[in-house]
Amino acid sequence: MANESGQVYGLTILSPIVEDQRLDIDHTTQLRWYLSTLPRDNTSPFAKVSSTYLARLVVLDDVVFVGKPACEEHLKSRYLIFETNFDGDLDTYLRRMASEAGEFVDAVWKHCVGYPGAGNSDAFVAYMKKCQLQTTFFFADVNDRTVKDTLRALQTQSALTHFIERNQGKPPAEIQKLFGVFLERLKSAPAPLPGGRADEKSATEDRPHD
Amino acid sequence: MNAITPMKPWKTPLLRLFFFVLGAIKPLQADLKNLSFIHFARWVIVGRNRFPRLSDKQPREELRYDYLIFFSNFNGTWNQYIDAFSAVLSRGLNLIWRWSEKFPGSTPVTPFKGYIGRVQFDTDYYYNCYPKAATNDVKAALRVQDALNDFAKTSQSLSPVEFENAYLEFLARVQPDLGSTGIAPVGT
Amino acid sequence: MIRTDNTKLDVSDIQGFALKGYNFPHARFLLLQLLHCKDAQSFLLKLLPDITTGERWDEKPLTTLNIAFAQQGLVKLELPLATLLSFPLEFQQGMKARREILYDTGKNDPANWDPVWQDERVHVWLAVYAQGLLALEDTCARILQTMDHTHGAKLLQAQDACSIYLNNQPTSYEHFGYRDGFGNPDFKGAERDCVPGQGKLATDGSWEALATGEFLLGYADEAGELPVAPIPHLLARNGTFMVYRKMHQNVAAFRNYLEDKGRSYPGGKEKLAAKFVGRWRDGTPVELSPEREDKSIVADDNRNTNFIYGNDLGGLRCPIGAHIRRANPRDAFGFNGQLINRRRIMRRGLPYGQYVPDGQPVNDQDERGIIFMALNASLFRQFEFVQQQWIEYGNDAHQGNDKDLLTGNHAGKSRFVVQGTADAKNPAFICAQLPNFVELRGGDYFFMPSLTALQMIASGTVDPR
Repeated sequence: MANESGQVYGLTILSPIVEDQRLDIDHTTQLRWYLSTLPRDNTSPFAKVSSTYLARLVVLDDVVFVGKPACEEHLKSRYLIFETNFDGDLDTYLRRMASEAGEFVDAVWKHCVGYPGAGNSDAFVAYMKKCQLQTTFFFADVNDRTVKDTLRALQTQSALTHFIERNQGKPPAEIQKLFGVFLERLKSAPAPLPGGRADEKSATEDRPHD
Repeated sequence: MNAITPMKPWKTPLLRLFFFVLGAIKPLQADLKNLSFIHFARWVIVGRNRFPRLSDKQPREELRYDYLIFFSNFNGTWNQYIDAFSAVLSRGLNLIWRWSEKFPGSTPVTPFKGYIGRVQFDTDYYYNCYPKAATNDVKAALRVQDALNDFAKTSQSLSPVEFENAYLEFLARVQPDLGSTGIAPVGT
Repeated sequence: MIRTDNTKLDVSDIQGFALKGYNFPHARFLLLQLLHCKDAQSFLLKLLPDITTGERWDEKPLTTLNIAFAQQGLVKLELPLATLLSFPLEFQQGMKARREILYDTGKNDPANWDPVWQDERVHVWLAVYAQGLLALEDTCARILQTMDHTHGAKLLQAQDACSIYLNNQPTSYEHFGYRDGFGNPDFKGAERDCVPGQGKLATDGSWEALATGEFLLGYADEAGELPVAPIPHLLARNGTFMVYRKMHQNVAAFRNYLEDKGRSYPGGKEKLAAKFVGRWRDGTPVELSPEREDKSIVADDNRNTNFIYGNDLGGLRCPIGAHIRRANPRDAFGFNGQLINRRRIMRRGLPYGQYVPDGQPVNDQDERGIIFMALNASLFRQFEFVQQQWIEYGNDAHQGNDKDLLTGNHAGKSRFVVQGTADAKNPAFICAQLPNFVELRGGDYFFMPSLTALQMIASGTVDPR
């Protein structure tokens, strides 16, 4: 199936945005403003739909004119593109969007034509599927683990490297004991939050800003 | 990165054929994996009659071209990314984009960059569940996790001498994968 | 099989500094501010006949003279606006403005630079290399006289540099105790023979010279294009770009760190030092000889740079993050080295400050380090890329965010992993809490014109058409 690669699903949604001449501030602008204020770290709505690896929302104003001899043409509507990569199946993901991030979903898609609201999850799923584009080719470098497993692995990698360095040169029996303690601590460590921490970025990075 | 390019509709089936073949032939995908700075990438063909229309009030699109939309999530700077593509994947890139109007070819690299600059469009919102991990970090971490799971099974039940040897072997197994994570360098 | 190309370069038009390392033990870099345009031009016209070109020497001269311009110097010389704007963006901005990209922050921030570099007054770099101190003083005195006479420029700083002498002989060692100067890239048209390992990898495993356009403007580069160059063509042709960085070395910090970690590293201090860099301190490549120094390899130009990492992807011989492997990964990234060929730089460094032998007390407050200079056709694509992506970052080498141990701007983070085996005498070993062994004290980007271009600049005849 072209939309999938291993455990990962690549969903592409193209939703026409409502054009309403009566409004002072049109839907597209409102949508862009809303998106610019949305957090990107673990307080992002996508962190709640925690099977999301990477997701993006893009407003497509128009198609591009590449220059003569190509013809110039224009779209009659503007579209919201939603591109997301997640683990698991499509229906589950869409339902999670509606139930766990319903407020966000409404705030975004209320600007789109024919949007029924996240309240009715059957209608929501049907709407999204109507707007879904088939991915022609999907490439996923890592496609055999869940988001949860991946975040855990990153936590393990960091913790293990610290452990190794701190205990270098100690007698084997002592390392063995300490290693046992380390394993226990790692098992009971809180699950890492998807999306990272906003404060983490400035605290641990040696560059002043990204 | 997001890019959209127009294609004359009669060329679209040729592109679909190429993708069908690319998908079926693993070695071509292997290059993408070996470059190892793309998490996810996808190509989506939107036929000129396939823009979703959800209401009678919404005007029907009347387009001459089909459109190829490309999304990628990659590490590194834009320039580095395109340089590497042009140096190493030029044949594959040509096979995908030669059907798009006015594509100049993926080598030499400067006109290629110019074309991409023109057909690119900006992302309004981006979410990454692991913002400080490059795809290499992810792969490394998964290997480390697997190695740890294996070693943990027996580590506590070995004698100190056995543990010493097993630990050394464990270190030798995980050692290439212990890089730290963090924010990547800024693009220019 | 080593192939040398027969591309003929007009060596009388190219400044010698761009074509070859002079191997003179003494140098003085005169950092000048240009005064009024007309006076500056007459000063340059007077210098012109003495500029050392790439012509072959029958007999080595006593001194050499070369010149390069920072963007603000070209502005002062009133080059046409269209020309000034046609220079690559990074050159126009200058190195100080690019500090975020280069990780020249924290200890390396311009606030900590020598005052002469802080406020972008350095217009001209004049390099005098000499075989001996008397000749050096003599030539510099004459230049200063010409400067006074024409009122063309003001001397802001004279930076001396000098080879480290051991047993009264000049050597190519640097202050951390490593023999330096290996591995400069070979390119088509350069006079000397190709040394195996210095060029690029051909598909049959032999070494070839790189495209001329990687190091000189006006020639095709490795991507088959002419590199971005200023207009008019005659101004750019046979010229190149140079980055100058005064790198202070914290020798005490380095020696203490090595001593400390060397005690716990089963292979011992010298082996650890070798692992840091990828060469033993005497220059033996670790990739060829991971357990001991080997003078026979060092002495043999056919061997001392002739190695690849393809059989050592796990870093068991030369660590994946070792300095020379980061700076020039050769075939380590696969694709037969193609991702590397456009990222090479030509180095021309020389130490400065008094050398203190190992074992004697040394103070990191003293002026001591290396004047690092690198030449390339594109600062952005070559030097800046290596600095940003391979030295200050490690993703391409699969080392995550870890920085180069020797020159990285660690700021308290960052680690270095020595890959090992399951043998307790050669285990995996992590070096953490890396201090900044090197600190940046200033520098900038310069344009090194051809003799033709220099004539145009000096006579005010640059015409961008």
